[in-house]
Amino acid sequence: MRKLRYHTALFVSFFCLIFIDVMVVHAAGDDWKPIDPAELALKSPMVEKDADAEVLYWEVKVDDSPQTELVTSNYIRLKIFTERGRESQSKIDIQYYDYSRIRDIAARTIKPDGTIVELKKEDVFERTIVKLSGLKLKAKSFAIPGLEPGSIIEYRWAEVSGGRWANRMRLDFQRGVPVQKVTYFVKPAQGEYGMRYMPFHVPESTRFVKGKAGFSTVTMTNVPALREEPRMPPEDAIRPWIFIYYTLDTNTTNEGYWKDVGKRLHDFLKSNSKANDDVKKASAEIIGDATTPEQKLERLFMYCHTKIKDAYDDASGLTPDEKEKLKENKSPSDTLKRGMGNGGDIDLLFASLAAAAGFDARMALTADRGDQFFDSTFGNDFFLTSSSIAIRVGDAWRFFDPGMTYVPFGMLRWQEEGQQALISDSKEAVWVKTPLSPPEKSQEQRTAKLKLLEDGTLEGDVSIEYTGQKAIEKKEYNDDDSPAEREETLRQSVKSRMDTADVTNIRIENVQDSVKPFVYQYHVRIPGYAQRTGKRLFLQPAFFERGVPTLFPSSTRSYDVYFHYPWSEQDEVSIELPAGFTLDNADAPAPFNAQKISEYKVTIGVSKDQRTLVYRRTFYFAGNEAILFPVSGYEALKQYFELLYKADNHTITLKQGAATQQTSAN
Amino acid sequence: MLSRIIFICAMLTSGALPVLALGDDAPSWLLQAATIKTPAYDKDVQAVVLLDEGRTTVSDDGKVTKVATFAVRILSREGRQYARAAISYRTDTGKVRDMHAWLIRASGEIKKYGKDQTLDYAFDNDVYNESRTKAILAVDDADAGTVFGYETIIEERPFFDQDMWYFQGHIIPVISSRYSLTLPTNWRASGVTFNNSKIEPAISGTTFVWEMHNLPPLKEEPASPELTTIAPSLAVSYFPTEDSARRNSSRTFDNWTEVSRWYTSLSDQQSEPTEALVAKAKQLTAGSKTELDRIRAIARFAQDIQYISIQIGIGGYRPHSAAEVFSKSYGDCKDKANLMRAMLKTINIPSYLVLIVSGDPTFVREEWASPSWFNHCIIAVKVSDETQAASVVMHPTLGRLLIFDSTDDITPVGDLPDHEQGSFALIAAGDAGVLLRMPTTPPEANSLDRQSDVVLDADGSITATVRERTKGQTAADERRMFRGRSRPEYTDLIEKWIARSANGAKLTKVEPVDSSVEGRFALNIDFNARGYGQLMQDRLLVFRPAILEREGSLVLTDAKRLYPIVLQAEAYTETVSVKLPAGFVVDEVPDAMKLDSSFGTFSTKYEVKDGNLIFSRSLIQRAVTIPVEDYVKVKNFFAGMRAAEQARVVLVRN
Repeated sequence: MRKLRYHTALFVSFFCLIFIDVMVVHAAGDDWKPIDPAELALKSPMVEKDADAEVLYWEVKVDDSPQTELVTSNYIRLKIFTERGRESQSKIDIQYYDYSRIRDIAARTIKPDGTIVELKKEDVFERTIVKLSGLKLKAKSFAIPGLEPGSIIEYRWAEVSGGRWANRMRLDFQRGVPVQKVTYFVKPAQGEYGMRYMPFHVPESTRFVKGKAGFSTVTMTNVPALREEPRMPPEDAIRPWIFIYYTLDTNTTNEGYWKDVGKRLHDFLKSNSKANDDVKKASAEIIGDATTPEQKLERLFMYCHTKIKDAYDDASGLTPDEKEKLKENKSPSDTLKRGMGNGGDIDLLFASLAAAAGFDARMALTADRGDQFFDSTFGNDFFLTSSSIAIRVGDAWRFFDPGMTYVPFGMLRWQEEGQQALISDSKEAVWVKTPLSPPEKSQEQRTAKLKLLEDGTLEGDVSIEYTGQKAIEKKEYNDDDSPAEREETLRQSVKSRMDTADVTNIRIENVQDSVKPFVYQYHVRIPGYAQRTGKRLFLQPAFFERGVPTLFPSSTRSYDVYFHYPWSEQDEVSIELPAGFTLDNADAPAPFNAQKISEYKVTIGVSKDQRTLVYRRTFYFAGNEAILFPVSGYEALKQYFELLYKADNHTITLKQGAATQQTSAN
Repeated sequence: MLSRIIFICAMLTSGALPVLALGDDAPSWLLQAATIKTPAYDKDVQAVVLLDEGRTTVSDDGKVTKVATFAVRILSREGRQYARAAISYRTDTGKVRDMHAWLIRASGEIKKYGKDQTLDYAFDNDVYNESRTKAILAVDDADAGTVFGYETIIEERPFFDQDMWYFQGHIIPVISSRYSLTLPTNWRASGVTFNNSKIEPAISGTTFVWEMHNLPPLKEEPASPELTTIAPSLAVSYFPTEDSARRNSSRTFDNWTEVSRWYTSLSDQQSEPTEALVAKAKQLTAGSKTELDRIRAIARFAQDIQYISIQIGIGGYRPHSAAEVFSKSYGDCKDKANLMRAMLKTINIPSYLVLIVSGDPTFVREEWASPSWFNHCIIAVKVSDETQAASVVMHPTLGRLLIFDSTDDITPVGDLPDHEQGSFALIAAGDAGVLLRMPTTPPEANSLDRQSDVVLDADGSITATVRERTKGQTAADERRMFRGRSRPEYTDLIEKWIARSANGAKLTKVEPVDSSVEGRFALNIDFNARGYGQLMQDRLLVFRPAILEREGSLVLTDAKRLYPIVLQAEAYTETVSVKLPAGFVVDEVPDAMKLDSSFGTFSTKYEVKDGNLIFSRSLIQRAVTIPVEDYVKVKNFFAGMRAAEQARVVLVRN
């Protein structure tokens, strides 16, 4: 997938506490820190009761005061509680690039009886992990000697990076095992730049304080290990971490900062979206007889979206070599003339065409909520990695991204929807929330015409149509695959639900079409779909839900539940019944809803000749912009999806030679 | 893990011309290969190897130069994966002298790849390993219709005067595959062909050439034999003159005894006990009453040594000294086995290192004596008649040997990991060393027994008590799942397994009991689930008595099959007793089933007794390879088994 965005790294950043000091750093001592007997006697972890290992103390010194290099010193003391803990912590790889060097490596094991086993120098191995075109990723590797459960291990090293500085650096507080105490010592570079920091998901008490020798320190205690959960928020929206950076102007306010970014953005747009005569003429021709702003914008959008090729998208058909040879478009006019550009060029052309038609067209910057939940009270553009075009229509701003190949008119990628957007402006910082597309915009519309055989085999034709975010995801996943690979993806998807399914006559449409819905059509045959007893057949009419596991099987949850976007499903399944069998029971599961967040409805009926069962299902979720659910609401959410699972697994009974239960098809 | 350099080299590289082309154009051999007309293949054939040629030249001092040339035509977009060159080498004994690749597009345009596009990477799992790989990836540039080719030259001083050649290293068809060996005057060579009738070399002067043409595509099928037992391959040994042998540090082997002698001499001195080892062994076995108890005590200690791999020099084969491994508490497979050997020696129990392949019991062939086959090291312990265990084999001269894998920390003494059972392995016992077939255990020794007591309510809710008992390798699998996860992760895993069958199940008890010494594992689970059974029109109550699904059931759906079906040994019995709700009687139960075949038996039974429905099922599946002619029988057997497990019981309100 192409991800062009306007790099904003040159915009100056600032915010929060400044700590500048000019004292000389003390060299770190060569001795190990004393071991507290209580640490050695510790029998079980303190932070998380089931942990296999726990960091007792983790110290990182970031010394940016040397003129030409950055020195980062690490010291880790860790207690091993179980065999698994021993296994996971016994091998250490200190990776570094060839612009860095590693020095002062030391490690030791303190066994439960207090005996100490030191790492010997000859047991530290230098490896080149990978090298390519002069770039080398290296590692200093060693195994911790004499390790057994109950031991404490500690190791330390320093990384010296030439020509680097601690700007836009992450200070992480969380590891794969729980941490009792972590402390960072930071000493900034001297000079005209001042250092600032922004904390994320750390307690109020975790703030820098001035320490000794020019270092400022920050400490966090009792940090649990990060664990994976389905549908969790992005890691950076959960993990505790601090972002440090340098800024020239340490006095500017947050508002002033964004005003400046907005103005720079405005200047960028102004100089890069100028409409010459060609663009003006094209704008008029494209708009033609359209009268309303909506019609005009849609025509301009569709022109840019369908007539101008994004050369760097997987759908472009260009080889890497051909892409390398492409000339840079210097203006919207170039893009128009060549009919090709990168995503940014296409956005700028759209802005230029719209401006030529009299619209107030701006650039909008948003963060990617697939990476982080953005908060504009932090005055740094580091997270504003995505851009789109904002057009004022009446009193409202509308957002468009014609440069994204599969994003339809009126929508943005899900990562940019429902986000605060900074709109370019020459005078002030303008923040507007981008709309979150409702469930009906991102739909799976599924139909199946099937025939049930007497032995329980189900066979027939299936069609599935995806729109909105659903279509974007499908297209992005499939567009650089061959037709055979796409077919195999579908085949495996069906077999993952029903492993005896034989999928044939596959047609996959509009994979690289920027406008039309993504479509699957296929024939399927599933032996054993319905279960046969002596006189009955048991049939799950929710064909599209067969084999789909319940969404939240776990009874416990650590993090909030995060759905990327609202969606809806609409199914119609008709099943011709086998001769000699009639419906013994065809009651439908009861409808249910969660206010405006979700609703589920099913109807089951039979055709007039009693030979065909007709099943209709509608479902939507994340209505009312409810995409993030607090962990406190997990149980209710889990129960809701269990209700859905039960309703979808509802079975009806066919009986051989029995009287038909009458229900009419809708 | 022992190095499998030769194997990997052979898999990844190929054939040869002595001089690399210069300039931007592709070499003539590649241009010529690109013109080869290929047969029309099925649409699922992704690429075809046009030329795969390896040329090995041995100098009198044992130095070897290997030149490889390879050309592949990409037939479909997914065939791009074959547009890559990779060659493994050792930093201590070898050097990649040259590596170039070319891509010829359908338009005739040629792209060349050289040093700047060559990736050089380490084996990342080891703390240190002198084996590395160089690779050129043209995957992103290639597409249907392009021809990709490469040439490599590697110089090395191999440990062994032996080589392997895979005529078909992938499932794609091959037009021409050739291996040539040029030796100094008066040296001799012999080759063994696998998965094909014997191929005689064409001999010209001191050059031997083996070749094959027009090999059809192979196919991936579920439960099929390994590619290495289907695709034709060649193993070659060459022998220097006596004069050369004296100057030459590498070795070759005529028979397995020679391999045994070599490995024994390489490893024997590494197992010399020290005082510390003597003391530790004494401490570990202090309370042991029997020979087996003493072996178990030392085996557990060796299993507990942390697995860490550091491969230096001949260290790919030679274990670190037992004393060093003992002091550091870490080592790899051969280090652990060697430490165990040293400790057993201190209590007067003789033992021998055993070279084996981990992962494919069919890989090693008796016909070619070479250490190159192996990637793993275990131990054989000489035992008296007093010690009885399934993993004892009979050695022709050494007598009863207990085979044990000290690296596998989930398989106790007396058992052997299933991926080693039935494999050929070399007992490294000097002159007494032989290649022996490793023992296999019957399905019943690796069984699962499950008893479930279920109370079914009138609304379809269930309360279930499940007691699972496993042994042998089935217990080892359970143990792996248990030990490989933290307790919350393990509970989560069980919860997901139950939820697949019983939506919304709430676990009230998860109690694993790991009896690893006895090779058993027990799992006790209690749970309840609302709406397990479905109440229809307040009249019928329908439920599936096979409440918990089995893992890894074989699904065969293809109408036709190319290769034999390889089945693993498996056995289980299950009884589910369902207390029926008051006011309901059984209206219908599925028919009982009995499937009987040469490879296994499966049966189900339903019985109504004292207000309970009792469902039972059992399977015994033998480890066999079934000829392809019997495919339909096997397919029907597993389809019938699946249908029986999905069957439902109907209760009706009386």
